[in-house]
Amino acid sequence: MRKHKPDYWILLVTLALMAVGLVVIFAIGPQRANFLNSALGVEKYSDNSFFLHQLLSVGMSIIAFIVAMKVPIKWLNRYAKWIMLAAILMNALLAVLALMKSSFAICQLGGCRWIGSGSISFQPAEFLKVALVIYLADLMARRKEEGKLDSFWEFWWPFILVSGISLFFVVILQKDLGTGAAMIAIILASLFISGVKLRYFGMALVAILVAGAMAILISPHRMERLTTFKGGGDSDSSYHIDNALLAIGTGGFWGVGVGNSVQATGYLPESINDSVFAVMGETFGFFGLTLLILAFTFLLFRLLKMIPFLDDTLAIMVAGVFGWIASQLIVNVAAMTGLIPLTGITLPLLSYGGTSMMFVAYALGLTMQASQYTRRQA
Amino acid sequence: MKRVKFLRLCLGLAVAVILARLFQIQILEHDTYVAKAAAEHTSLYDIVAKRGEIYMMDGDEPVPVVLNTTVWTVVVDPQVTDKDAMREAMQKIDKKHWTINEIDDAFKDENIRYLVVAKGVSRDDYLAFSEVAPGGMYAQSYNQRVYAEGDLAASTLGFVNAEGVGQYGVEGALNETLAGKNGMLKTITDVNKVALSIGDDNVRIPAENGKNVVLTIDRNIQKKVEDVLKQHLKDTGISHGASMVYDPNTGKVLAMVSLPSYNPAEYGNVADASVYVNEVLEVPYEPGSICKGFTMAAAINEGKMTSETTYENNGSTMVDNWQIDNADTSQQLGTITMRTALKWSLNTGSVQALRLLGGSTDAITQAGKELLYDYYYNHFGLGQYTGIELFESPGTVVSPDSEYAYNSTYANMTFGQGLDVTMVQVAAGWSSIINGGNYYQPTVVAGYMDENGKFKKAEQKEPVRTNTVSAETSATMRSMLHDTRWWMGDPDEYYFGGKTGTAQAIRDGAYVMDEFISGYIGFGGSSQDHPEYVIITKMWEPNRTVSSDEEVRPVFEDLKMWLIDYLKIKPNTETS
Repeated sequence: MRKHKPDYWILLVTLALMAVGLVVIFAIGPQRANFLNSALGVEKYSDNSFFLHQLLSVGMSIIAFIVAMKVPIKWLNRYAKWIMLAAILMNALLAVLALMKSSFAICQLGGCRWIGSGSISFQPAEFLKVALVIYLADLMARRKEEGKLDSFWEFWWPFILVSGISLFFVVILQKDLGTGAAMIAIILASLFISGVKLRYFGMALVAILVAGAMAILISPHRMERLTTFKGGGDSDSSYHIDNALLAIGTGGFWGVGVGNSVQATGYLPESINDSVFAVMGETFGFFGLTLLILAFTFLLFRLLKMIPFLDDTLAIMVAGVFGWIASQLIVNVAAMTGLIPLTGITLPLLSYGGTSMMFVAYALGLTMQASQYTRRQA
Repeated sequence: MKRVKFLRLCLGLAVAVILARLFQIQILEHDTYVAKAAAEHTSLYDIVAKRGEIYMMDGDEPVPVVLNTTVWTVVVDPQVTDKDAMREAMQKIDKKHWTINEIDDAFKDENIRYLVVAKGVSRDDYLAFSEVAPGGMYAQSYNQRVYAEGDLAASTLGFVNAEGVGQYGVEGALNETLAGKNGMLKTITDVNKVALSIGDDNVRIPAENGKNVVLTIDRNIQKKVEDVLKQHLKDTGISHGASMVYDPNTGKVLAMVSLPSYNPAEYGNVADASVYVNEVLEVPYEPGSICKGFTMAAAINEGKMTSETTYENNGSTMVDNWQIDNADTSQQLGTITMRTALKWSLNTGSVQALRLLGGSTDAITQAGKELLYDYYYNHFGLGQYTGIELFESPGTVVSPDSEYAYNSTYANMTFGQGLDVTMVQVAAGWSSIINGGNYYQPTVVAGYMDENGKFKKAEQKEPVRTNTVSAETSATMRSMLHDTRWWMGDPDEYYFGGKTGTAQAIRDGAYVMDEFISGYIGFGGSSQDHPEYVIITKMWEPNRTVSSDEEVRPVFEDLKMWLIDYLKIKPNTETS
């Protein structure tokens, strides 16, 4: 396949979204710092702490994007199994560290999701997402080529095993249904585009929905969020949703303007992470949010658009990335607007947090590389 | 490829739903959220106005006698607080401020979440406490009045109650002036209620601090009068006394004492709330023979008699069917002058003055009663509010048109019975008799201290009435009142005058046989022409006859030369 000009829209939208994220963090970082300092009784955070950290994340994300674009996907395919194994081992390591109550396992809100110490931390689940994208694309494309997509032992067994182990780590051990949802989206999108028979796809969908329902039932804090959503529940979760709606609602059409968010001064929990969409709603209003969502939609449509023109491996990989970003966008925004129960999940490229942004950028870099290999005809 | 189209459709639907939802929240329900946000983000704060301080004069300089300080109330939540940690923290607080006896007391009732364990904690104790204060304990500051002179002039100063409202005295009467006006801050705050500069709806109305009031009362005179009166009460064993030093030429109150006193800082610890009352202003009484001066001044001023007019003193006189006796019916019998009658305080003399006032020598006439009332009420201001800045009672003087205005009532009024007046009314009216006829409105406010500590003097008011009596009448009255002191041996280079007064006490509207309230009013100055101060004193005790001459007048004697010295009144070297 001859290499040609990539789809620069992907890069352009990615950079634009990261820039918007920087502006928002720049505006509310001082308030966040002030709030944390007074809440924790420390002087640890300066006005620029969060902005500088986000700037670093953006820099690293751009590097990740370039690396993803330059390192040949063929080479990745060769090592797909090993990448997947490494990602699973890293999550296993986190589980062991958490079990040992090591200080290297960073735990919050009842789940141990980070490896690291001090200001350097890493979320293995993000690595797991990208590994799934690479591994599933490789597996599915190979089996499709061999005509063995219907074979249980050749295809379904490794597919179920890898997916199951990944979800087990993230949803059960790390208690991170948000990341779990993104993984499910990656898995289902890949499977859907792989060309597997719709009957089998339907069975997989039902199996995952049943498993997801069980995951909610056995986890007290997820049940709580669900009851909150239905109008009852504890005050912490409903407080979070109420204040997210309050932030978005006060934005009106044009928003209150950069730096004028009151909700970010401590009323809205996680204002720079998972709730950054709500702060953006307050800051930029309906006009700004519409532009933002249309930008994401445009980016996602660009990904969908190239799929029919790609080889199976690349097509499935791009589909995985599509599922990943689309699911995080929709789940985050729907949660913030009270359409679905609250789930901790970042808004791709905008939320504060290095690992998440880096891996999303890496995934988009992969699609950018893929866009160089489209055929003229589907 | 169909499956890609399907994914695009799914994404498009999801985006449509989200945008519709955003439209609902941000456009349709925008106003609701704005209102909700305003309620959540906006805080109203009182900006507490600083209560004005109270100053007294120290000679020409105002000195503060009532100040403000910040103290702390310490509160504990026993369900959260560790007992040993609390014990350690409480040790930093002076035990006299504890409101519990033992640390264990706080833990007796398991349901209590809020318990005041110390009150009135000083700054030093608070700072020491706050260093070791465990979780669940906190301190709230509030302002407290400091009465620098303890119980000095308590009934004049009053106190501030727990709600911060002045009660009694200057604190009560001038509460609005002292309190100032609280300001208000309406602001958007962060979640910790720290004000933010976000938004343009923030409103700030600054507090207007209370004014610092400077009293005309001189701290040193006040102290001296209180000390002297206390000593006399102690020596005589009389329970109550009140006294006022008054400037007859300006209307300024220089000292105002009611005893027994109390400490305004601990106003709750009094056995009897009557100590809050300012006897000088608020409790009308019958001044007795002091009123003979008013009656004679009226008759002389009307040209109906002179100090040398004579009449026949038989020790008693008949008014209608009532016999009015002199205190000593055997004294100065025969034909005597009015000067002599006043000198010996003869009731027959003042009754005769009333007869003369009405144009008769042997009967009390309606014209005489009307004239006496005109002088008492309109000229001398008896039986009505003086207009002093503090709480006062009006008292009553029976009008000649009243059905109770019997001749005997008016005969009694000539020697100070059958009317109800306050000490300040007597002092102000009497001052106009001796100062040449100028009635000044009594005042306790000398001015205000501004925020830079500069004394802004109140303007000296013109007399409310001039010519209450003529200058000649006034001079005559001074000499007659001077003569009452013929046996006191006053120094020649100064000029004093005065009058005693005793009246039966009225309890529940009836005279009590065994209780006589006694008083003395006197003036002092360098020469006959110029009285410089007036002192009025009364003493009383339930079921006791107090002697004005032997028990009350000595208060004046103890103060007369001290005041001459303190006020730096020059001796008169011209007269002999």
